[in-house]
Amino acid sequence: MADLDQLLTKKVADRYLKREVLGEGTYGVVFKAIDTKTGQVVAIKKIRLGKQKEGVNFTALREIKLLKELKDPNIIELIDCFPHKGNLHLVFEFMETDLEAVIRDRNIVLSPTDIKSYIQMTLKGLAVCHKKWVLHRDMKPNNLLIGPRGQLKLADFGLARIFGSPDRRFTHQVFARWYRAPELLFGAKQYGPGVDVWAAACIFAELLLRRPFLQGASDIDQLGKIFAAFGTPKPSQWPDMIYLPDYVEYQFVPGQTFRTLFPMASDDALDLLSKMFAYDPKARISAQQALEHRYFSSGPPPTEPALLPRPPPKKDSMDSKPSEFGPTVLSPNSRKTRRVMPEKGNDHGIGNERSGPAPMSLDFSVYDNRPPARPTINSADRTHLKRKLDLEFQIPEDDEYP
Amino acid sequence: MATNFWTSTHLKELLEQEEVDVVHNLDKQRGITLDDFKLIKLQMTNYIARLAQNVKVRQRVVATAVTYMRRVYTKRSMTEYDPRLLAPSCLYLAAKSEESTVQARLLVFYIKKIYPDERYRCEIKEILEMEMKILEALNYYLVVFHPYRSLPQLLQDAGMSDAIQLTWGIVNDTYRMDLILIHPPYLIGLACIYVASVLNEKDNTAWFEDLRVDMNVVKNIAMEILDFYDKQRTISDERVNAAMHKLGLRK
Ligand SMILES: Nc1ncnc2c1ncn2[C@@H]1O[C@H](COP(=O)(O)OP(=O)(O)O)[C@@H](O)[C@H]1O
Ligand SMILES: [Mg+2]
Repeated sequence: MADLDQLLTKKVADRYLKREVLGEGTYGVVFKAIDTKTGQVVAIKKIRLGKQKEGVNFTALREIKLLKELKDPNIIELIDCFPHKGNLHLVFEFMETDLEAVIRDRNIVLSPTDIKSYIQMTLKGLAVCHKKWVLHRDMKPNNLLIGPRGQLKLADFGLARIFGSPDRRFTHQVFARWYRAPELLFGAKQYGPGVDVWAAACIFAELLLRRPFLQGASDIDQLGKIFAAFGTPKPSQWPDMIYLPDYVEYQFVPGQTFRTLFPMASDDALDLLSKMFAYDPKARISAQQALEHRYFSSGPPPTEPALLPRPPPKKDSMDSKPSEFGPTVLSPNSRKTRRVMPEKGNDHGIGNERSGPAPMSLDFSVYDNRPPARPTINSADRTHLKRKLDLEFQIPEDDEYP
Repeated sequence: MATNFWTSTHLKELLEQEEVDVVHNLDKQRGITLDDFKLIKLQMTNYIARLAQNVKVRQRVVATAVTYMRRVYTKRSMTEYDPRLLAPSCLYLAAKSEESTVQARLLVFYIKKIYPDERYRCEIKEILEMEMKILEALNYYLVVFHPYRSLPQLLQDAGMSDAIQLTWGIVNDTYRMDLILIHPPYLIGLACIYVASVLNEKDNTAWFEDLRVDMNVVKNIAMEILDFYDKQRTISDERVNAAMHKLGLRK
């Protein structure tokens, strides 16, 4: 009897066979499981219910909401959701490793075509998001997961948002700092897909350099690092800069050439990088345009995903040595080595956005709370309307839709 | 209308009128007719709107909450999903998914305040449990598109900016029907503009033609809206109460 009980509890929702824990997320544990229906290996995120008694975690809900709309080979697939013992569980396709582990693994040599392949898959996933008006807002190597056949997929949509209305105002406290675009660092509240493109450029640079490119220790320092690399932006380069909320004048520094910054990269790679790192978000290349850049169409083609070098699957990586570059720490939550991130605990820097109430979007707030009175239509109006409805468009309709 | 509507789950999940107008067997057994079914959904729409006014959320949240409620009832019965609990729970979930979270205890507070009727009372715990059930019934599809966003621009384009209040009100009223489950929001929006322009005696024939949309559909939606206004006047509280009584929940 006890054995049977144990067997039953191991099978979540009568379907998934629970295996080892894969990692600890911000809002729940992720464990490996086998889908007994399909035999597929999956990763299940168990959403912790907050103590504050506010039901389904806000961040988890965001992730569900957006991932249900985004189905693409370069975006993590949300296979299923189900409640179990009062907790919400999200079932994802199982991913072996992530891009951070690839970049960090000193045993891996990344050829120019490998880099081309990884960045192409990143941009493909991003282009799909942007086409559907979704901003990822947390692009970093750690959130780019890599599947068993080498496919790279965007994951962790807990910070993502729909940017439908151009006048929507967002929080600028998004992205891990090293991947934050200059407009965000200057406190922009109205921003667009360019913020994801900047982060993708940082990832591109990180693939080339095999270390995080712009490692600022604070927001101010982050801008300092950016300007030291590319030079302080001139107003002619970025006219809107001086109007940004947190704009402060930086002492002019000339910056370096892309060739100096990335000595090993091809001319095409440098040209694309310079367009992705454009200061003015309006002038920055879009993810879709980047995919159409000659870097991807000329020269040696990107490596087939299945042939890409990648570290051994995560379960074996526990005993791998810390990388030789940069500071590393042993994360208290997992046995996986992690790079020290600035202000780790506040990595996303959004505090209340993740847990507490989010600021309301402002679209149509002018009409909020005082909806216009419902129009009343009397029967005379109605007869009049009906007559008009019946008569109008009769002739043009016949002309247009023969 | 945002371009992503064309690839959205909202578009994929659109239903036919006949699929929406199905009274579940459990409800039928209690004597609920199609008219009762519609009436209760209308009543719950009003309930959501009233609650929303008190907790101060945007119209968009109301619209999403009503859409959730109506979608749930295409899949679940009122017998199993008590409307008086489902309605506030939909508002709770919609507020969250539209990024303007409202605390459950605030809802519970206002429900008590504005509805002395004990059968409307609910506890935080019940709302949170219902939230999970709603998510399941919705198949976790949470993104809903509404006609509001494109309205000012369309009206301006049609030279009808002065009719924004009127048109906005008509759009609000469309949520008292099931239109949002059946038609793409931009067509609902156009139908509302159509009704408004006729009401304002503004001849917009040329403008509508230029849009290259199926005017038959727009016209049909407009007719439905007018029919609704017509019927609306015959609805009495007694009829609503009688329908709710048949459900006989929450003794
Ligand atoms: N689909 C997956 N396959 C394998 N491991 C995963 C998957 N999703 C998440 N994980 C593991 O769980 C950890 C936390 O998940 P993540 O979604 O990134 O949460 P967070 O929001 O805290 O970053 C990841 O770092 C990774 O190790
Ligand atoms: Mg993550």
